[in-house]
Amino acid sequence: MTAPLLSVDRLVRTYRMRAGMFGRPREVCAVDGVTLKIDRGETLGLVGESGSGKSTTGRLVLGLENPDAGSVAFNGRRLPAMDTTEWRASRARMQMIFQDPLGALDRRLPIAAQVREPLDIHAVGDEALRTARVEELMRSVRLSDDVGQRYPHELSGGQRQRAVLARALATKPDFLVCDEPVSALDVSIQAQVVNLLIDLQAELDLTMLFISHDLRVVRQISQRVAVMYLGRVVELGSADDLFVSPQHPYTRALVSASPTPGARRGERIVLSGDPPNPAAKPAGCAFHPRCPSAFARCRTEAPALVEVAPDRSVACHLTGPESHATVALGAVA
Amino acid sequence: MARYFAIRIGRAMITIALVVTFAFVVLRLSGDPALIIMGPEAPPEVIAAFRKAWGLDDPLWMQYFDYFGAIAKGELGRSMRDGRPAIALVLERIPATLALTIPALLLKLAIGIPGGIFAALHRGSLIDRAVMIGAVAGFTVPSFVLGLVLVLIFAVQLGWLPSGGQETWRHAILPIVTLGIGGAAVLARFTRSAMLEVLGQPYIRTASAKGVSWRAVVLAHALPNAAIPTVTIIGFMVGTLIAGAVVVESVFSWPGVGRLLVVAVANRDLAVVQCILLLVAATMVTSNLIVDFLYGFLDPRLRNREAAGAH
Amino acid sequence: MADLSLQRSSVAKRAISWPRIPPAVAVAILWVVAMLAVAILAETIAPYSVTKMDLRNRLSAPGDAAHWLGTDELGRDVLSRLIFSIRISLLIAFGATAISAIVGTLLGFFAAHFRGLAEQAVLMLADFQASMPFLILALAVLAFFGSSLPLLIGLMGFYGWERYARIARGLAISATGQGYASAVRQLGAVPSRIYLRHILPNIASTLIISMTLVFPEVILLESGLSFLGLGVQPPMTSLGNMVGYGREYIGSAPWIMLTPAAVITLTTLAVSLIGDWLRDKLDPTLA
Repeated sequence: MTAPLLSVDRLVRTYRMRAGMFGRPREVCAVDGVTLKIDRGETLGLVGESGSGKSTTGRLVLGLENPDAGSVAFNGRRLPAMDTTEWRASRARMQMIFQDPLGALDRRLPIAAQVREPLDIHAVGDEALRTARVEELMRSVRLSDDVGQRYPHELSGGQRQRAVLARALATKPDFLVCDEPVSALDVSIQAQVVNLLIDLQAELDLTMLFISHDLRVVRQISQRVAVMYLGRVVELGSADDLFVSPQHPYTRALVSASPTPGARRGERIVLSGDPPNPAAKPAGCAFHPRCPSAFARCRTEAPALVEVAPDRSVACHLTGPESHATVALGAVA
Repeated sequence: MARYFAIRIGRAMITIALVVTFAFVVLRLSGDPALIIMGPEAPPEVIAAFRKAWGLDDPLWMQYFDYFGAIAKGELGRSMRDGRPAIALVLERIPATLALTIPALLLKLAIGIPGGIFAALHRGSLIDRAVMIGAVAGFTVPSFVLGLVLVLIFAVQLGWLPSGGQETWRHAILPIVTLGIGGAAVLARFTRSAMLEVLGQPYIRTASAKGVSWRAVVLAHALPNAAIPTVTIIGFMVGTLIAGAVVVESVFSWPGVGRLLVVAVANRDLAVVQCILLLVAATMVTSNLIVDFLYGFLDPRLRNREAAGAH
Repeated sequence: MADLSLQRSSVAKRAISWPRIPPAVAVAILWVVAMLAVAILAETIAPYSVTKMDLRNRLSAPGDAAHWLGTDELGRDVLSRLIFSIRISLLIAFGATAISAIVGTLLGFFAAHFRGLAEQAVLMLADFQASMPFLILALAVLAFFGSSLPLLIGLMGFYGWERYARIARGLAISATGQGYASAVRQLGAVPSRIYLRHILPNIASTLIISMTLVFPEVILLESGLSFLGLGVQPPMTSLGNMVGYGREYIGSAPWIMLTPAAVITLTTLAVSLIGDWLRDKLDPTLA
């Protein structure tokens, strides 16, 4: 069994926020002990609502932020520190695409120049090779040639995202993090871009971390999925399995809210309580105030992520090794 | 609220400290202070005694602290010209300067603010264009040119008013008008754009759509909100009560602080220059603080920042 | 909404469409160009040197064939002195504006890049600069150092840097925060590439507008200092200088004072008009 391309071990990232110049500093724990593995050529989907820490995880995984604890290993080696020469060189191997492609592009430069920029930065080949590569990239993301001469604001949302994708793939990276890349696009365009990503992954043997709150898209593109809640992974498993039979109460609620054609129409689970706020994390299991199946232990002890079946891990006292035989439905003890 | 003021006061202290540092650095950089203050012909023993008295042989950081101490005690040196303490010289000139700058400030307020408001309320009209042209002219014509032109017209050609000196009240008219017009132009322009920005806000349209009379809308909503940024610039003008008339006093040979400064610079009378510099800094900083305090009361957003909670 | 590409071809990069300049601004541009031409061609177009004295023709009125703008109290040709004054005053103004723009922008980038203490230090200096009347600071420096031309340009170069610094810092921070600059950094670019190739071109228009606002103020400042006798020193002549000299003859020979005064006013006005118009066209948020 070959080593995973990306290995993340107990990653922690806390933000210190100060209210004004003399305010009392507050600590917000965005990522609270995340452990993940992604194999070469695989797509791991990362799902969660806002505040779950998924975007921060994506940045940590690429080395765009330094973790406060834990480690990230790429290809077996630790990531270099940010803004060092090594780090900059490593950018050629791993890239990111973002939710807002317009913000990621320089409005004063034509698209072709921007797609070409990574080649200039990493001094790849000569002039002729770079020009040829830009053309090749534009074709691979299905952008017509004349788009290269246009400026970002003259393109549609889908075209911009494809331009950003072309730029990200310029140096033939091994690993791509996609942070909500289709959330800002119209539904029909979403499908186009997602299909493009799937095709490119096959063509280029890309490894991907696909971050989104949209379950349907994640399911379409990922082989495995991790569900995050308030900085922790609460469930991890293969995409098909997880969505068909979710184990964690949170995953169940998410799945029930997002109807999948062909699946049995279960009862819609509506969560009560406040939406997750990383600045005010509940004690014990972070989900317990909203969990329909919570009981006494959930309030005091945070469950660990344990493997409950081959290729399925859940962080819940209900499914853990010492789960209770009976659970009082709907009652919070 | 207390936090807001604490920050402001802290900043004020830092500004004063920076000015003092500035004076210290410039003084030391420009050559041997002993030579400069005593003059190049002074005999070596006098220079040595001076250096000793002023601690000029001490390490630089010690001199720096001594300098602060001396200023705090008000020991700002003596004028080279007549040996009197610099601070006395400066203080006795202040009334003359204020006699110009205070009436000029009133003039600026009396012409500038109504002019700006009127122009904003009647945007695009003839009055608006006149005010704008006047404002631009007031800004682009340098004060000394304006003063001299007024002298040319009123003193030389028409002989109505005297051209310089301080003998009678009539001597003050041209300088005050010169100062006032320039400032009024700036104020008019500023008030106009502050008003225009406020008038363009949605809440003004809402108020007037509710049926409130236009006059009431202006008085109750537009003016108070436009007042807030205007207070800053008025504060700046108040701050320059002492320093703002440097050029005009020279044009009209008016014996105020500004004229004293120019003469002191020409004669390299460093003690006097230093003294005026510090006095101006103190005035500016104080008036900025007062403006900040007023802001704290006037702008409800600042008043309620604590209540709204920090995030 | 289907994935249509926009049909309109690139218009964004065309900054100014020429036919739409208002007449006042057009005149202003012509004036500025004329002043620049005068400054550059001073030697060729000035009929006399600035020090050449024609003692038989002292204080002669304008309109004379030999001296179009008359002569001053030493018989020196006012027109020639005016031409060279324009050169000196413009030289100082351009030099100072360039220096303060470069220094200010660099400090702004410095503050934006390093944040923390460096940023606080720059902001504090900027506050200090903004809160003290520059004339007083300038006079203090002149008192201590004297008035040579390089010193004068250097001193004026401190005027207004804080405006560029604030703009550069603000725009750089917002660019690096969520935008294109952070994306390029993420591609592996070195900071100098990010600032020079991406951030600077994007903030250039705002900086240029600030320069057109600062430039006339520098002219006014320098003229004021020269008028007081503390700026440009003889034998060099500047516009403010001439006004200062002409002052004594305000009754007998007002043209000595009025011609340079008019040039100062018109040039300041012209650049201000151009600056206002540029601001309206390119960046209305600066009002």
